[in-house]
Amino acid sequence: MLVFKSRCSFHLVAQDVQGNNFLRQKWGYSLKHTTHAASAKLLFLLTLLAVLLGGCATHSVTIHKSADAKAQQDSVVTQADEDGFELEDEFEVTDTEPPIDPLSGYNRLMTQINDKFYFWLLKPVSQGYRFVVPAGGRLAVGRFFNNLLMPGRFVNNLLQLKVKRAGTELARFGINTTVGVLGFGDPAANRFGLQAYPEDFGQTLGHYGVGGGFHIVLPLLGPSNLRDTLGLIPDYYLDPVSYIDDSNAELGVRAYRQVNRTSLHIGEYESLKKDAIDLYTFLRDGYEQRRIKQIEE
Amino acid sequence: MRNIFFTILCVLLFVTPVQADAAGEVRALLKDKIDAVVVLLQDKGLDKARRNEQITDIIAPIFDYKTMAKLSLGKKHWSTLSPEQQAEFSDLFIKRLQNSYLDKLDLFSDEKILYGEPSAKGKKVHMSTTLASKDSRIEMLYKFYRSQKGWKIYDVEVGGVSVIQTYRSQFNGVLIEGTVDDLLEKLKTDGVFVIPAPDNQLGTD
Repeated sequence: MLVFKSRCSFHLVAQDVQGNNFLRQKWGYSLKHTTHAASAKLLFLLTLLAVLLGGCATHSVTIHKSADAKAQQDSVVTQADEDGFELEDEFEVTDTEPPIDPLSGYNRLMTQINDKFYFWLLKPVSQGYRFVVPAGGRLAVGRFFNNLLMPGRFVNNLLQLKVKRAGTELARFGINTTVGVLGFGDPAANRFGLQAYPEDFGQTLGHYGVGGGFHIVLPLLGPSNLRDTLGLIPDYYLDPVSYIDDSNAELGVRAYRQVNRTSLHIGEYESLKKDAIDLYTFLRDGYEQRRIKQIEE
Repeated sequence: MRNIFFTILCVLLFVTPVQADAAGEVRALLKDKIDAVVVLLQDKGLDKARRNEQITDIIAPIFDYKTMAKLSLGKKHWSTLSPEQQAEFSDLFIKRLQNSYLDKLDLFSDEKILYGEPSAKGKKVHMSTTLASKDSRIEMLYKFYRSQKGWKIYDVEVGGVSVIQTYRSQFNGVLIEGTVDDLLEKLKTDGVFVIPAPDNQLGTD
């Protein structure tokens, strides 16, 4: 056996001029052990041990960590049971300083106007429309309009260098406009599992670190902030509806799009409103939190 | 020597998965509860009041309502309340939270609930689910922490909006301008919100 090994090694040397190290290693190893059977067994065991120990090292670290974490947890739990504020660090600090909100007076007024607009006009119209048009039709119309909004999503994904998502948007548009019959269907999602990636210019600005600025409640459109309001301008030009020549027709299409959208979500605003202790603060905070989340994604 | 190694190895190898499975445990726990709630929601024959009672009972064990009440007020404000006020606040807040949750269930219709992968963050495990309806997808993030009585929810995020954070901002706003009694009064007016007159608001801001 040893002879075989030696021959093998020499053979390698003969083949490989730079095999000196290999030879030394090979010899060094071979010479220590007298029989191949023993060396093979040991080699096997060493390998096994190395593998297991490798794993073991990782495992023991994990265990060590989790043991630490558990100890930490336990102490935290004990404290949390005492006063419950150990989990507080992830929330915004509450203090006696009101948040920076220079337009709060106007914003509250506009929140109220939008609220009335919803309950007095948008909701009754949307409910009437809902009564007349079955859900399937309204969903299809919603998909049609959504498909038309592809340019905004595509451009803003691209601007954020989300190339793959931009590509998905293009693919969705291609599939849904053709197979999905002008976008009334959504085979891209249903058959190909391609989901839309909504992005707007406000999110693009946010992606590059532009802060929201102060909160602004826009007429009809609702909660927004300085950044997102500015973002509406490029988004306007990316919305095909903006290119309808006749301005009355354009307004009509916009109104219809909104009524259709609202008809699919009746009850949601009411439910949110019911939750609110202070509607304006509630909507403002919810909006800003949601935007931060959307920008992160 | 080898035997010792192997013994240690075996112990380590078998112990680790149990430790690492906290996230899986949370996922199973939440799914179990949601499944039970969905079964009740789909049973249209049930009396609504009775159904809501059952739902409240099902989810109660996984919500740490008391901690949620404290977090929604924040340590600073909480410590200014007398023990009686703290108790009253907690009661009102918890009732409100439960009612709000039950209200939301009325909006539930054809949605599918998709379960994401739980993510462990130190002592917390966040479990993401998606409520997928025909025209929208809403992410619901359930935030758990390990309490002495097991995994408990301390916050829920709906579409990136934290329920606790939203209450914090509102309560903070109320307490900056008014007193604890004002806040308790607002909490008592169950879910009814009357928008104050604009003049009044413009004046106070």
